[in-house]
Amino acid sequence: MINESRIITQLKDESQKEAAFNTLVHEYQEVLYWQIRRLVLSHDDADDVLQNTFIKAWLALDEFRAESKISTWLFRIAINESLSFLEKKKKNAGFSNDTIEDMTSQLMSDPYFDGDETQALFQKAIALLPEKQKVVFNLKYFQEMKYEDMSQMLGTSIGALKASYHHAVKKITDFFQQND
Amino acid sequence: MREFMIEEKFIEERLGNGNPFRVPEHYFDEFPQRIKKRIAQQKRRRLMIRWSIAAMMAGCIFGSALFLNNSRQQNASLEADNTQYIEDALDYSMINNMEIATYLTEAE
Repeated sequence: MINESRIITQLKDESQKEAAFNTLVHEYQEVLYWQIRRLVLSHDDADDVLQNTFIKAWLALDEFRAESKISTWLFRIAINESLSFLEKKKKNAGFSNDTIEDMTSQLMSDPYFDGDETQALFQKAIALLPEKQKVVFNLKYFQEMKYEDMSQMLGTSIGALKASYHHAVKKITDFFQQND
Repeated sequence: MREFMIEEKFIEERLGNGNPFRVPEHYFDEFPQRIKKRIAQQKRRRLMIRWSIAAMMAGCIFGSALFLNNSRQQNASLEADNTQYIEDALDYSMINNMEIATYLTEAE
């Protein structure tokens, strides 16, 4: 666990900035990677988005005002990067429901996916959710993040987050009832 | 609320919350080094942009200085031409400096 105030001081000091940022990369790379991977699904895409997340953070270090925790700030960048990546992919490759239909077979043939067909269907059900519900479901269900932390990170009220989570759970249950 | 709890329980029991994804071997060991390289590239790019801007500004300043200097030289040469023209005109009109001085004094 890093000392937040010390690392912020080091990040503001030009002579220690790069070493401090390297500490941040070591500390948060895994947790950010898994957050991104659950949204973009493939390893190569997750790798690209994770790199972009850290580069964006590096370039925006001077703008970080320490009003939120560094982890919250990095998570926010990672989620925004993931969502804009998905949006671009949708526009560029005509990412439609047809390609989402292919997702199960794509996941099953992915060398970095260990799940069975039910797990692939679960990922597909999550991918079909609207963006906000997808993000909230992943954070709550897989990472067991508190609604308070999520609210700070996403800039959304706790009530709205709970509603998004409830809708997501309902849609996933419906999906499985229809596909069973 | 009760319905929601049943649905959530269904997902947990049927699907669990394990992680079916994997990463290539040594991925997290090598990733920080790759970020370091990209940051070094970014730094070089920023430095090049700064140098280009500085070179462009220096070029603008040098160009402006050259232009101003040329304009001044042209003005000086025009002034010299005008003085010569008046002197020549006075010579041709056969009026000497004494006559001009007398004329100016009388005019006052």
